[in-house]
Amino acid sequence: MALFEVLIVDDEQEFREMTIKRLNKRDLQCYGAESGEEALELIQMKEIDVVLLDVKMPGMDGIMTLREIKRVKPMIEVVMLTGHASVESGIDGMKLGAFDYLMKPIELEPLVVKLKEAYKQKKAHQEKIEMAQINKHMSMPG
Amino acid sequence: MRRIISFFKNLLFFDSSDQPERSPEELRSMFRKRYSNFRGLLTANNNALQAMAELEKAYYGGESYRMAFIRSKITTILVNVYKMIRNLLEMSDGRYKDLETIFERIGHDLDEIIEKKQIVSQGEFILPLTEVDRKKKKEAGEKMANLGEVAAIPGLAVPKGFVVTASATRHFLTADHIADINRRLQILEPDDLDGLFKTCEEIRKTIQESPLPSDLEELLQMHYSQLEKATHPGCRVALRSSALGEDSAGISFAGLYRTVLDVERDSLAGAYKEIIASKYGARAIAYRRKRGYRHEDVEMCVGCLAMVDALVSGVTYSKDPGEEESEVIRINALSGIAKGVVDGTRVTDLFLVSREKPHAVVYSEMRQGLDHSADQYATTTSLTYSQIRKLAEAALLLEHHFGQPQDIEWSFDHQGVLHILQSRPMLTSHALETEDTEIPVVLDDTGEKPFLFGGICASAGIACGEVFRVNSTAEMLAFPKGAVLVLEHPLPEWAPLLSQAAAVIAESGSEAGHLATVSREFGIPALFSLNDAMAGLVNGETITVSASARAVYRGCRQDLLRKRPVVKDIMAGSPVQRILTEALQHVTPLNLSDPTSTQFKSSWCETLHDITRFCHEKSVSEMFNFGQKHHFDQGTAKRLVGDVPLEWWVIDLADGFRRGTDDLSKTIRIENIVSVPMLAIWKGISAFPWEGPPPVSMRGFGSIIFQSTMRPELDPAVASALITKNYFLISENFCNLSVRLGYHYAMIEAYISDLLTESYVTFRFKGGAADMRRKAVRARLLGEVLQHFDFRIELRSDSLLARVKKQSTEYLEKRLQILGYLTLHARQLDMVMNRPNAVEQYKEKFLTDIEKMLAQPSTPQVV
Repeated sequence: MALFEVLIVDDEQEFREMTIKRLNKRDLQCYGAESGEEALELIQMKEIDVVLLDVKMPGMDGIMTLREIKRVKPMIEVVMLTGHASVESGIDGMKLGAFDYLMKPIELEPLVVKLKEAYKQKKAHQEKIEMAQINKHMSMPG
Repeated sequence: MRRIISFFKNLLFFDSSDQPERSPEELRSMFRKRYSNFRGLLTANNNALQAMAELEKAYYGGESYRMAFIRSKITTILVNVYKMIRNLLEMSDGRYKDLETIFERIGHDLDEIIEKKQIVSQGEFILPLTEVDRKKKKEAGEKMANLGEVAAIPGLAVPKGFVVTASATRHFLTADHIADINRRLQILEPDDLDGLFKTCEEIRKTIQESPLPSDLEELLQMHYSQLEKATHPGCRVALRSSALGEDSAGISFAGLYRTVLDVERDSLAGAYKEIIASKYGARAIAYRRKRGYRHEDVEMCVGCLAMVDALVSGVTYSKDPGEEESEVIRINALSGIAKGVVDGTRVTDLFLVSREKPHAVVYSEMRQGLDHSADQYATTTSLTYSQIRKLAEAALLLEHHFGQPQDIEWSFDHQGVLHILQSRPMLTSHALETEDTEIPVVLDDTGEKPFLFGGICASAGIACGEVFRVNSTAEMLAFPKGAVLVLEHPLPEWAPLLSQAAAVIAESGSEAGHLATVSREFGIPALFSLNDAMAGLVNGETITVSASARAVYRGCRQDLLRKRPVVKDIMAGSPVQRILTEALQHVTPLNLSDPTSTQFKSSWCETLHDITRFCHEKSVSEMFNFGQKHHFDQGTAKRLVGDVPLEWWVIDLADGFRRGTDDLSKTIRIENIVSVPMLAIWKGISAFPWEGPPPVSMRGFGSIIFQSTMRPELDPAVASALITKNYFLISENFCNLSVRLGYHYAMIEAYISDLLTESYVTFRFKGGAADMRRKAVRARLLGEVLQHFDFRIELRSDSLLARVKKQSTEYLEKRLQILGYLTLHARQLDMVMNRPNAVEQYKEKFLTDIEKMLAQPSTPQVV
């Protein structure tokens, strides 16, 4: 069984496919999207936990995509990916609530570690919220 | 994220003031939250400092680096500093909020510096050569601007022609094209030559297949027709690159771009595109990367010149580059067109000619006759005396006009007219020349004689490496870094290897070829026309090449290499270096060094380094203040009691004390500590008894008193309570120890986990009393000891940073023992630093003690 579900968003097909293949071997359920638009469709259909998102894409770029993901599904953690985007876009991503940043080219090991950290955070948030909900219901009489 | 942050703020901190009494569980959970912020901040701090160190290393280390490297490191620093600020704000309930504003400003400044775009003006697409001069450089490129100047000098002739300008290039290759090309290049790994060739070929094809805009095509045809009228119908032309932006001192970009000869009307557009595409040739790209040029820093213009019906051609140096003080002109010549001289495929005749009238030939070598592969002209002398005199006069005229020695390409046509094809400033390297004169050609008795001798010194210098012969692209791709490149012909195609080679040897070629020029520029020795080089040199054999002495020796000859001059900074003055210089101003300078100073405030932060320093310091005090602020007695420090030297305090962050330890007690015994890294450090601290400070020499003592007076923060009596104690902050896997032993400041931090990627040990050491020189000696000594035990060391003046990462638990525990030992015993160094033999003695003692300590079997720490 997969540990958790990851969506790789990058317009570079070669990178996308190779990353999916390698992460699948590490027991992560991976999907790919070649554009921000496609990513937004996918997160509505699947139960995605973590998104790996390239900053520089033609059309809807990574920052715009991030903003939308956080609007539609705020619990999804997003790890941004950049090699040659402008230096300020790194900060923009963090401000919009990206979990963290990775630089291209990336090695598999740090990527897996980062994705796991992101998933851990997502799970922790989710549990806290659920706990708060339960407490609220419990304290309400009847 | 903001919503999530505020959610947590509400959850954790909202009503803390209303309800000061919190249950231990609640407080523990708040503490854990704070601890996780603290941990996050420390990790970000490490990442930011490491990226800063890497930037500085590249900048000061004289290696070449690329824009992508700068961009990636700056982004890493920015992201991590941002994380630090965010963590600190959460820990301090939003105090220090002005850090955000300062950070915004620095980030914006850096973005401006790094993403700066050049402003270009749009001009004519095509200019006749007669309308071009130095003032038109930005439109015509270096080479054609110079040639336009030459055309205007009375007594000198240049081929008729016109220039397709930079404006035309921008009209042909639009911003979208360029963005696409840059994207393809940026994803390449730096050392992936194979990928580079593939990508370059794709780019060439894309450019070749893009149609020329019709207005440009029309203009090209029109100007060609005019050229036909000025010469003869069907006139053939040479299309030459004329690049822009490569005019910095010492940069030649020799032979990197295409020249297409014998072009007819129908193939004009194709040849034009080929030259534009040559900006993205593998050689040109490797070269720009190495020298610190971005692709957008270079713009390509194209000269279109009527072909000269050449009888004899060559290259003239108005001052012989081989002889610094000599007053001779150097001429390399061969029959036919000049291509064979500059691309190094043909052996040329050499003439050294006096710069004084009547320009007597002082030396000549008829090498063409020795070249068996040469054509029918080979046996005759290539130049007549009257031609030589004409060349000498032209060289001096050009040198006078441009105000410096010139490197001139020329042809005589069959009517005896001299055509200047190119004139550019000559590249000389003074430092190399003077140093080389000290190297004897024949060695003293002890040295073994060279086994290959002769040839032409194409680039002075001496180097050592393993032989690697290259004769095909496959071999080229296998070339190991630092090897000696051995070639049959010094073709320009091999130029990308020069950035990786220690030296280059070739069986043919001369000092006038492109490969020779590029070798001189990279400052690597080049020995050309060395007979039997390919046969005499075996792959993998280590040799020492002295191009200056025209000799090859077996083995690595340290006696000769010692005299090697300092390698020059190949990035000097380049656009990329300028950008990094500017960017570093906002990153690395540290203005906030002393936490007790009144200027240690967020508002005084000017650089990213300042912000990291500030956040780190404040996060530590936020951790300390936690208990106080939240009436959290259990979290406050406990004094370590038992048989311990000095005063140590311990704060448990999470699970660092043995279960069942009395939370209310003000003291703790070492037996009740279960923090793995702290126990390891402690083992080092307690391995040997502390001997106390040694007697001070009078001079040393005076200097210490002086410093204490000058800098009150060094005086323990003045310093705040917080920093005079030695604090362990621990959890089961984490330990941060801040020590102020006497005048030192030292910090050990470690996280030991089963996940290797997370584990690290860091040691920072700074200052101490005594003057700067002695401080530096001490830091260096500690660095040497730690290096001996496989730490990675960074030493700057009196501050030392030592690290080990991603190792097994057992390995890291041993490193922590070493640090514990040194933290305690380094204090003894304080007073003896001006006695060199004492320093050595201490080093020996430290090494012996540590070896002894590590040799002990690891006994269980806790009974």
